[in-house]
Amino acid sequence: MAEITAANDLNFESFIKANRMIIVDFWAPTCMPCRLMEPGLEKIAASHEESVKVLKVNVNESPKTSSRFFVRSLPTLLFIKDGQVKTQIVGAVNPNQIEKTLNEVR
Amino acid sequence: MEKNWDVIIIGGGPAGLSAAIYCGRALRKTLVLEKKVFGGQIVNADIIENYPGFSEPIIPADLMDQMSRQAERYGVTLENDEVSALQREGDAWKVSVYQNTYQAKAIIYAAGSVSRFLGVKGEKELLGRGVSVCATCDAPFFLQKKVAVLGGGDTALSEALHLSKFASLVYLIHRRDKFRAEKILQDRVFKNDKIKVIWDAEILGFKGDQRLEGLELRNKKSNSVETVAFDGAFLAIGTTPSTELLKDLVELDENGYAVTDMSLSTAAKGVFVAGEVIKGNRRQVAISVGMGVQASLSCEDYLASLD
Repeated sequence: MAEITAANDLNFESFIKANRMIIVDFWAPTCMPCRLMEPGLEKIAASHEESVKVLKVNVNESPKTSSRFFVRSLPTLLFIKDGQVKTQIVGAVNPNQIEKTLNEVR
Repeated sequence: MEKNWDVIIIGGGPAGLSAAIYCGRALRKTLVLEKKVFGGQIVNADIIENYPGFSEPIIPADLMDQMSRQAERYGVTLENDEVSALQREGDAWKVSVYQNTYQAKAIIYAAGSVSRFLGVKGEKELLGRGVSVCATCDAPFFLQKKVAVLGGGDTALSEALHLSKFASLVYLIHRRDKFRAEKILQDRVFKNDKIKVIWDAEILGFKGDQRLEGLELRNKKSNSVETVAFDGAFLAIGTTPSTELLKDLVELDENGYAVTDMSLSTAAKGVFVAGEVIKGNRRQVAISVGMGVQASLSCEDYLASLD
């Protein structure tokens, strides 16, 4: 089963270069909805193992990546295709909503 | 996934999960549908201190995780999906979700409420860019910054207290000249050096381009208008009920709250309501839990009458 990959300020760019379609989950340990949303995101990572890379970025540890994308609210999901931000979802959502958004942008 | 259920509970917060525990123990085939995260809005709070039965403060997410597992222990299915339509079809209720449809003999509607917005300029544009509805989620972005919390109830004061651990200064901005929050929270706020209160203030707008830079305030007594610089603004001005799915089925009041009685039944046969969709609910986990239990008992009476 594909897992969500932890990314940070140092390696974030390498993931962007290596993957066509990426979902980035910005989170923090104090954000409970982030924690509760993770199983849904794991489902997405597993069912799209071949085509989508799911990353999680702890905003406390990676302030540069968070501010680069103007993230100021958690959870935020960023959908990045070919290095370009296609759309974002702010606030907790169910896996079907993530799936729907993914289908719209890919 | 099973299509036919005895009970479908819409909403997986304190009311929905409490109802689920009782429906499960009544051996009814029960499905709970939650569109965001199981646990409901209370998981946005950092601690709960007034839920009876716990002498020490508890983490809301942990409490709600226990409620979810307690429901599952009695055979209830929890599904993370959004209901798009609720219709009567023959003897059953048809519940549509993303790419699927379920049927149930009875519905317990406990979809809760959503944060209310002021509807003033800049608010929507700056949401997620300094304007926030969840202090525990977004506090890390405001380390040593100046933030405002808008509101005067339990949520506003709790959020101000939480933010005071991160921000350099927290301004509680309230439209009246006194708070309606619990006295113990007021006491803590007044004793906290990092929290200042601005009374009688109306928010005219949120200022900023890429991110929030300040709030335009009007003093309701003197009528003076000024713009005050803030890095963050947290909305805690109440909620609106999530009752769109009920609007053609159940009597709603002018603010969209479901009209019901002690039994928590509605004019729609087999539809029961619980939690923050009901007028007069004071947004307490304990109240929603009690309502969830009541709705499930009334629901069980209804199902037994069909058996």
